[in-house]
Amino acid sequence: MKKEILNFKVNGTPYEIEVEPQMTLNEVLREQLNLTGTKISCAEGECGACTVLVDGKPELSCSMLALAARDKDITTIEGLAKDGELHKIQKGFIEKGAIQCGFCSPGMMLMIKALLDENPNPTKEEITAYIAGNLCRCTGYVKIIDAAKAAAEA
Amino acid sequence: MNKEFTAVGKRITQKDVVLKATGEAIFVPDVKLQGQLWGKILHSKYAHAKFTIDKTRALALPGVVCVITYEDTPKIPYCRSFRDMPMTASGQLQHSDEFILADKARFVGDPIAAVAAVDEKTAEAAIELLEADVKYEVLPFVIDPRDALKPGAPVIHDYSPNNNPVNSTPPPWLAIGDLEKGFAESDLVVEDNFYCSRQIQSHLETQSCCATVDSNNKITVYSPNQLAHPFRRELGKMFNHPVGKINVVTPYVGGSFGCRLSCHTEPICVMLALKTRKPVKLVNSKEEDFTTIDARTPHYLHAKLGLKKDGTLHAMELNVTTWGGGYVSRAMLAGGIMLIWGLGHYRCPNMNGSCKLAYTNTPLGGAMRGFGNPEVMWGIDQLMDRACVELGLDPVEMTLKNTKHAGETCNTGLPIESTYIDDCINEGAKAIGWKEKRGKNKGGTKTLKRGVGMSTMTHCSGAWPLLLEHSGAIIKFNEDGSANLIINPGSPGTHIYGSLSQVAAEVLGISVDDIYVVAGETEKTLFDLGSHASRSMYVTGHAVRIAAEEARKELLAYAAKMLAETPDDLDIKDGQVFVKANPGKKISVAKVSATAIYGARGDGHTISGKGCFVPHHNSPPTAAYFAEVEVDTETGVTKVLNFVSAVDCGKAINPMTVEGQCEGGVQQGLGYGLTEDYVFNPATGATATGNFTTYKIPGAPDMPLETKIIIIDKPDPKGPFGAKGVGEPGLVGIAPAIMNAIHDAVGVRVTDLPIKPEAILKALKEKASK
Repeated sequence: MKKEILNFKVNGTPYEIEVEPQMTLNEVLREQLNLTGTKISCAEGECGACTVLVDGKPELSCSMLALAARDKDITTIEGLAKDGELHKIQKGFIEKGAIQCGFCSPGMMLMIKALLDENPNPTKEEITAYIAGNLCRCTGYVKIIDAAKAAAEA
Repeated sequence: MNKEFTAVGKRITQKDVVLKATGEAIFVPDVKLQGQLWGKILHSKYAHAKFTIDKTRALALPGVVCVITYEDTPKIPYCRSFRDMPMTASGQLQHSDEFILADKARFVGDPIAAVAAVDEKTAEAAIELLEADVKYEVLPFVIDPRDALKPGAPVIHDYSPNNNPVNSTPPPWLAIGDLEKGFAESDLVVEDNFYCSRQIQSHLETQSCCATVDSNNKITVYSPNQLAHPFRRELGKMFNHPVGKINVVTPYVGGSFGCRLSCHTEPICVMLALKTRKPVKLVNSKEEDFTTIDARTPHYLHAKLGLKKDGTLHAMELNVTTWGGGYVSRAMLAGGIMLIWGLGHYRCPNMNGSCKLAYTNTPLGGAMRGFGNPEVMWGIDQLMDRACVELGLDPVEMTLKNTKHAGETCNTGLPIESTYIDDCINEGAKAIGWKEKRGKNKGGTKTLKRGVGMSTMTHCSGAWPLLLEHSGAIIKFNEDGSANLIINPGSPGTHIYGSLSQVAAEVLGISVDDIYVVAGETEKTLFDLGSHASRSMYVTGHAVRIAAEEARKELLAYAAKMLAETPDDLDIKDGQVFVKANPGKKISVAKVSATAIYGARGDGHTISGKGCFVPHHNSPPTAAYFAEVEVDTETGVTKVLNFVSAVDCGKAINPMTVEGQCEGGVQQGLGYGLTEDYVFNPATGATATGNFTTYKIPGAPDMPLETKIIIIDKPDPKGPFGAKGVGEPGLVGIAPAIMNAIHDAVGVRVTDLPIKPEAILKALKEKASK
């Protein structure tokens, strides 16, 4: 299939790459840019593990064509820490024990980043509703919600 | 000696977690090998069929490197959950009844062919061609195990013409007394039929594998398994390949919960690598996971209890029909272990039971967290609750009358080393507000009824003496005073590396920050059975303790030479070796270690220690679970308002980890109880619930409004620093506690898992019409 040029920014770095038009953003991030911190599980928009931020808004990278990211700013988990300093959400997740197997964690942390950018002081109920589409099989969400609150307060 | 702990019992974050927070942690699907091919599997469309496959068109597709079917495999029968886990009592091994690719399809999803191609899309295109080029001869099939055991049912394996490869009976310490007499002497007999459902582990990282074979014929396999060493041995057997030339690499694992006790994609991936002599990567889709992996083995359970008027249990009978699947795998043990958990939990003088395992034309029954315990307690603790209601007793008080205490015979036949189950019950009841809420619809309305219910359990710390038990560990000091802890228990997200580092640091007298774990490769580690049966802390923990004690001894001996003291007069704290009688006289661990390595004194060596451990004891973790629910009598929907798990896991090495295990257990138990419903299409045998939309695991809004974990935290006499297992106990009694709470709220119960709103509504209607 004929490839097309995709110009976009990922974690602040501008890219100009050739992609096949049917490729998802997830495939391009993982396979072409080797950003494997973005995970893939159900690949059909049910679990949230592949969540990235597109111009600051959470998107399912498995269900978004790469070409739809043209001229957009993508944030993946690799872009959360700045200058070697972990983001307060990462610190919250680490300190509160919110990470077990770690497979949902990148998507979950980016989801919470989007929440805190919209609503810096969410209640437990608001956090719970916001992460409804991000499945976790290890933690029971208890410490994830604690971590989000800790990050909000940090 | 009542020394204050410096590492044990602390809420310490393990180093791995940082890598998981940044996206640096590599899971098998993230592995990229130079020049790797992509593998894909063709699964059978039919539940039971003979077939022939014409490979011509697939092979001709540009980019396809190889196509394999049964004819290309070594034809050595294997057991996907590793035959060499002998039951130590009987010496019996698990059955080896399948091939790397099927000779005959035995369930919808059975792997019948595979391809390797230059990229994933080409591999998928080849699979589509192959799919069109299979000629099936469809055979009669059977889905339900009760039908499979009837005369005249379709025969799934020629060697087992009645589809009944194994029957189990309880071990002698649980087949006791006289059942008939016991029931006759009882004041109340309660019994019912229960369905214990097929629960999918639902870890997010799908089954995956990367395999490569080098020019020395060494096979390297990247696999997210839980039991790397037994898996390597099974690979050696199935390919007739020397195990010394196999390295199983287990990077970070995206959840296990029992599923990774079986190999799923690995044998096929290795087969493709051997054929192509190139690295091959094979990653399941989530739908492939849902339709092909070994899930929690389903059972039909008939449970019968006899009780005295005062609530004392007097007789118990459990009869189980186990839903095996197209091959037996772990299901071979599933029914027998149910009898052990179920009959072993409460004190009861008259007990017996039986279990029949059936082959069926369905995906396999395997192991999931708790392995038989959540299943059997679903039945037993509902009957206990029913008996309380009928006898007019309080479940908390009645349960306390039947719990076993230290010294009594445990489920494993060994004496109970320690149990604080009564503390679990009392503390849990207090936390849920049992006295204020039971039977009072407190806070409820006319249509939103509230109730509380409870359940309890006894589990194990490792599988001794029922299955093979053995773990090893190595400690070696670096010249900066840090130490490498070399272990291989698997790392499915349980923070076991961190907890074991705390054990090592405690013994060595250095900071946990100075312990660096080396793990995840069979060729670099001592044998460790792996993560299952809530064993890693209890068994590998002891191996680490022994290794650390040996290293400590070497360190003190060397330090004694340097300080001109005797080793017995020395101790270590905060990375300093000091003279006990004169703490000012000291030397750093770093200096001792560096001098031993680089001191050029002519006695150079690396200070190290090795520990191998087989527990000849098994300290049972116990727990009590309390649910408060609200049932909408107009819709039948249950909301869990509060959940309390009180767990006796001995000394909590890391309380944060213990809480995390138990909180996660509530999610899985709540799903088992209320939402997770695996359905086969009876007309085809195909899975009708092959994704997260149709198979619903609880999301954050589905969780209890409040979840409280109570850790009893009393040390066990035999566990390392007093620790017992805790991985599985998290979910065992969740579903029966919820069901008993529903009954308290609305006076009806259902016996099939999961508890569906429509079943509650139907039961309410039936109750109203009476």
